Amino acid sequence: MPPKPGLEPGNAAVALKKPTPAPKADAAPPKADLAVLTAALAAPESGERRRAARELGAFPEAGPLLCAHLAAEPAASVRAVILTTLIRIKSPAVVEGLLPLLRSEDSALRNAAIEALQEMSAEVEPYVGDLLADPDSDVRILTVNMLSQLPHPKAPDWLAEVVARDAHINVCAAAVDGLAEIGNERAVAPLQALAARFPDVPFIRFAAAAAIRRIGGS
Amino acid sequence: MQPPRSFGQTAPALPITEDEYEKFYEYFYRRTGISFSGKKEYFVEKRLQERIAKTGSDSFKAYFTLLRFQASGEELQHLVNLMTVNETYFFREDYQFDALVRGILPEITRTRRPGGTLRIWSMPCSTGEEPYSIAIQILEYWARADEFAIEITGSDIDSRVLADARKGVYGNRSLQRLSPELRKKYFRRIGDDQFEIHEELRSSIEFSIANLSDPIHMHRYRAMDVIFCRNLLIYFDDTSRRAAVEALYECLSPGGFICLGHSESMSRMSSMFLPRKFGDTIVYQRPIEQD
Repeated sequence: MPPKPGLEPGNAAVALKKPTPAPKADAAPPKADLAVLTAALAAPESGERRRAARELGAFPEAGPLLCAHLAAEPAASVRAVILTTLIRIKSPAVVEGLLPLLRSEDSALRNAAIEALQEMSAEVEPYVGDLLADPDSDVRILTVNMLSQLPHPKAPDWLAEVVARDAHINVCAAAVDGLAEIGNERAVAPLQALAARFPDVPFIRFAAAAAIRRIGGS
Repeated sequence: MQPPRSFGQTAPALPITEDEYEKFYEYFYRRTGISFSGKKEYFVEKRLQERIAKTGSDSFKAYFTLLRFQASGEELQHLVNLMTVNETYFFREDYQFDALVRGILPEITRTRRPGGTLRIWSMPCSTGEEPYSIAIQILEYWARADEFAIEITGSDIDSRVLADARKGVYGNRSLQRLSPELRKKYFRRIGDDQFEIHEELRSSIEFSIANLSDPIHMHRYRAMDVIFCRNLLIYFDDTSRRAAVEALYECLSPGGFICLGHSESMSRMSSMFLPRKFGDTIVYQRPIEQD
């Protein structure tokens, strides 16, 4: 890019104005109480709702309330702050508040719930069995996707169990994808058996073979 | 910012298969947005072998299991630190500076009256190369520079680097990407390998301490039009990164832009910003409408 004409050497101050130094950091403002912050979640200004959602992180008991507000909150920026606060609170009550969102019609909300749940591996563990047995295959697929990225030592075995037992081909295919990344030797036998469970689906045979190769099996 | 690393690996290297590399590349990309081409195999292997040895893992598989399932994410952070090159020099990743004067500033000023203020924040600014580069880029290449009061602030958490930034003295290595004309115009040689930035430019930029993880600190920085926050967020764990991105959002004016490092992607961190493309550069915009 050629330089623009007109600027003389040393003429920097023509356009640049030294900013006023940022004011010294104030002492921490007094913390609002739970009732005030809860009321502020309904404020018309999204900035005020973000502030309330952020400060509610100091109140672990606000987890269920924030989960409920997440589903009703229209602003993406406020939803993002609520998720961060929920991840910080990280409790069984938060997990229970997030799980119903997996059934939401709103894909952004479903993904947000998954995103938060992935950050709470220990708290999610007690619910994995029920989630993988859910009658709704979409919920099982979301659960498999979450497990594929969950930093939990049992995650590979949960996915292998899905491959061994789930009757729905899309749930199994999602689990195969996950196992290709996190699977271990214990997943090889269920993956080998999977092609026999779906003999008319060449894709499954191909995907299972690729996952086995990734895991380091034959 | 972190100092350059040295590698003191002594243990014999453990074999890593092509499939294992592929698995690692996918995982690392998904978690960090950092992608390695085939050309970087040696670079990656050396660092992987170092961490395998340091963690006492007896195979790549054992190490990958640790990396993948460690709830604290501490090992991933060690690896990120090793895999990222931390050096700064004038006009580093200059395509973003081109985007600044060709796309971002023209867009921001389209509806502003001449005489208004434009606020640009370099955070972290390290020893000052970035905010000075921004200033030079604007003075040299933005035709409307004289119409606005342009305020550039450089901030860092490290007071020692800020002292160097205020001093504005650099060696040849830092200036390697500057043309002789720009060197002559904006620097004065004061030693064999020492160049001092022009006093007028030096005194036009405010340098201040800022901690992105401290909400009270961050509350001091508001109404920024453009933030350069490059190659910092990759050093944060997931939760801190989310909080940091939210803090930056609050520092921006509606419609303001944030520029991240080339290996960082906002879409992996937050849904609060809109991706915008200027030339080949993707930057992120705080929505103009209050949502």
